[in-house]
Amino acid sequence: MIIVIDALNKDRFGDLLDEMFQLRARVFGDRLGWEVEIVNGREIDQFDRLDPAYVIGLDNEGHVVSCVRALQTTGPHMLSDVFQVLLDGEPPLRSATLWESTRFCVDTQRLCRDGNTMKAVSLATCELMIGSLEYARRSGISDIITVIDPVVNRVLKRSDNAPYDYVGSTKQMGKVPAMAALLDCTEERINRVRAFAGIDHDVFASDESVRALLDARNAAMDTVTAGGVEWMAILSEMEEPELPVLPEDIQDYCRAQIENAPNEAERAAALRLVEVLVRQRIHPAMHQLVS
Amino acid sequence: MSADLIDLGSESRQADSFVTFLDQICERFELDHAAYAGTNPVSGAVHGYVNYPEPWKRHYAENGLHRIDPTLLVASRSIAPVDWQRLERTPGFDKTFRDACDFGITDRGLTIPVRGPYGDIGMLSVTRDCSIAEWNKLSAHILPDLQSVAVHVHDTVMRSDALSRALRYPTLSTREREILQWIAAGKSQQDVGDILGISHRTVEVHLRSGREKLYALTTPQAVGRAIMLGLIYPL
Repeated sequence: MIIVIDALNKDRFGDLLDEMFQLRARVFGDRLGWEVEIVNGREIDQFDRLDPAYVIGLDNEGHVVSCVRALQTTGPHMLSDVFQVLLDGEPPLRSATLWESTRFCVDTQRLCRDGNTMKAVSLATCELMIGSLEYARRSGISDIITVIDPVVNRVLKRSDNAPYDYVGSTKQMGKVPAMAALLDCTEERINRVRAFAGIDHDVFASDESVRALLDARNAAMDTVTAGGVEWMAILSEMEEPELPVLPEDIQDYCRAQIENAPNEAERAAALRLVEVLVRQRIHPAMHQLVS
Repeated sequence: MSADLIDLGSESRQADSFVTFLDQICERFELDHAAYAGTNPVSGAVHGYVNYPEPWKRHYAENGLHRIDPTLLVASRSIAPVDWQRLERTPGFDKTFRDACDFGITDRGLTIPVRGPYGDIGMLSVTRDCSIAEWNKLSAHILPDLQSVAVHVHDTVMRSDALSRALRYPTLSTREREILQWIAAGKSQQDVGDILGISHRTVEVHLRSGREKLYALTTPQAVGRAIMLGLIYPL
């Protein structure tokens, strides 16, 4: 079953997010050897501060078995900020109806316990793909750009869910290569994955039923969950992502643009920008750059 | 899309034209009311435009409802459109809409949150007084277009000061430029795909991105603006 956790319901599901951050640490840190930061066994980065949406797959006991993270491409996201190298120096796509998905992973260890086979892994993977495609589609999103490694790329192809194209090129990120793939959120694609996996039921569980399942499990085991205190502490100690642009930054930027301009046209363009900033009295002190 | 919506990207950006645009959104998407609110951390400005009736606007302002209204405060933190049905049990919802009811304002609506590149956040909210079944059908139908319109309004409002305009100078990729260049040469999207050896869907996703980066609602507007900015050649 699939649950979507975002800023609106995360207060109720702190325990699930904590499990998810631990799964990400095991997969991206231990197994894949990505260059990710792990604190207290949780993999959390600056984009987790930006209120992304998490699509999370749960097993029958309510344990996290898969997850993926979604952000809008109109605002800060991984391809615009840290995965730019994948785009060969080109600016990223930016569209109201395009979401970016990152940190796609499945807990193969848990799924293969108890004599289960790879069939269980495939089913959980497909359920997560269906859940994320349907969630995006329901939100009016037409396409997803996803940062994946060649293994996930093969999994997508084998599940009748092959990317329709790629942007930029495959690059080495740490120990593994990564690439940016495009998927449409059409009914045709969703139906193909459903047919491949033999899933025809509604994959989403309601917030209420998931909460009830978790509470019942905790009661039976006579445990009190910490409710995700751990990841909240890690997140709150992280530095604010640098968003607002300060006047000094603009001045530095303009100086660099003028000094490093490869040709006369670029230099003239940089000078024009300074003129606008000075003329509009946005940054009068910058006249020293043009004089 | 949206040939009957005015092109905000080329309008002299006055408050009137934003409200007119909201009226057009309502007419086009069969909605009752629309509102836009956004904050620009670069200029420090807060912007708001609504086409609600005057008495409700006054009541809302006098009672400081913007400080408790979850369709603004809570919805802005989502990445997906937030149907107000999801906010019913959120603090502030009852108080905001108990009053709204007295003014003939419905609680049937949704908010589309928009995130911009500089920490700017905007919200387009729309309402329609109708049955739940009718509403669910309508909102599912209009969401894709409404998403694009929300970003268009937000980007345009955020560009209303000179610094933000300079910062938001369109940065198109080589692929976005070459697709617009072929469209300017009169080729269809299908032709462009064949010429560049890419799928129709790839053309579409780049074209949509290029349009939005150029603050255009239609492809002809985008081509015109790209020529104006010297990003492609007129043919």
